[in-house]
Amino acid sequence: MLDVTPANGSTPATIATTGAVVSVDGVWKLFAMGDDVVRALIDVSFTVEPGEFVCLMGPSGSGKSTLLHLLGGLDRPTRGEVSIAGEPTSGLTESQFSALRHSTIGFIFQSYNLMPFLTAVENVELPLMFEPVDRASVRRRAVDLLELVGLGHRLDHRPSRLSGGEQQRTAIARALIGSPRVILADEPTANLDHRTGDAVVELLVDLCHRLGVTVVASTHDQRVADRASRVLRMADGRIVATEPAESPSTPTEETP
Amino acid sequence: MTAVSLALAYGVRAAARRRRLLVLPAVTVGTGAFLLVLVLALMPAVRRQGATFGDAAAVGRAAVVVALVVLLVGALEVAIAATRSVSQRAREIGVLCSFGVPPRSVLAALMVEPVATAGIGALVGAVLGAVAAPLAGAAGLADAGPSPVSLAGGVALAVVVSVVAATVASAAPCARAVARPPLASLAH
Repeated sequence: MLDVTPANGSTPATIATTGAVVSVDGVWKLFAMGDDVVRALIDVSFTVEPGEFVCLMGPSGSGKSTLLHLLGGLDRPTRGEVSIAGEPTSGLTESQFSALRHSTIGFIFQSYNLMPFLTAVENVELPLMFEPVDRASVRRRAVDLLELVGLGHRLDHRPSRLSGGEQQRTAIARALIGSPRVILADEPTANLDHRTGDAVVELLVDLCHRLGVTVVASTHDQRVADRASRVLRMADGRIVATEPAESPSTPTEETP
Repeated sequence: MTAVSLALAYGVRAAARRRRLLVLPAVTVGTGAFLLVLVLALMPAVRRQGATFGDAAAVGRAAVVVALVVLLVGALEVAIAATRSVSQRAREIGVLCSFGVPPRSVLAALMVEPVATAGIGALVGAVLGAVAAPLAGAAGLADAGPSPVSLAGGVALAVVVSVVAATVASAAPCARAVARPPLASLAH
């Protein structure tokens, strides 16, 4: 069974290291749309501490997905600095950022993005499938993770034989296989019904807490935000409010 | 296992599910390989018969060129299939890149499809050519059977030319797909 106890026995919130896992400083993102310039992010700054579950919330077009993409290096800021695990990323080449993603970041996508020709356990192994490491230990870890997400009985199932919730749980296990410091989840419940979405978020929160993994998730879903340790509300490319999850939320900014 | 062999192993599995889409390019490559082996194996007979029309060497060369052109058209078809394939697999490429799989591993995995298509097509076509050449001789279509050496040489040449041509023609679209920003691939 996978050891989910932090190595030094401390609480997850204090395990990792000192300093922010994610640091965003004065970030702008501009897109050219014909002759116009779209300001997708305007001077955004925040930090995420180890063990946090931070939710980016806002209507479509508010910039939350763009921000998540910048955190993962899937796109680069026009101006400003994104640091991951203390490492500034503006000077990194694509292959250096790729290596940083590999060692530090796990992704969860809205549409799961599992490989249809691989079984569940092979999909979990995917991020490590190209590395000359001990295959047996990777397989053990993948099996352990699938058991942790409640899919120990679905190891050899292809994605087409898994429900949406099961596919997203497989994707959570895949995001965790490389022991990342931070998981970036892009609308992880958007394709799931409410009950399944709740279960998936609960699993994500619980597992990342036990494993000491930080989570940054973008979402429309207030119930995801309710589970977050902090909610950053976004509108028109800016963070317009920061809320602790326990405080009464103000859903007035939301548009379905 | 090395990183390259792991990438190739993944590439084989990814290509296997798409095998139906690869039949046509493989058949074209195989046809070219078949013709090339047949022409090379029966070259003495081709030349003798060509001499009755005029320049024996020129007729022999023309036969080889025709076979090579079919082979290269096959390689081009493979490259077109590879271009279509990387477009259809854009999301897969984006996912691999977002998990930090090194670009050269992704490229190696993508190249399996065109190289295997050309290699398998050429091998099957060339072996059929090597079987057909002695039969053609025995049936009296050619006045002399091929030597085993010319058959083996023809098969090797057909396979090597096919694989090299398909690799060269497919490398650019595959490399372009890998070099795209991951976000562009994921949004595909």
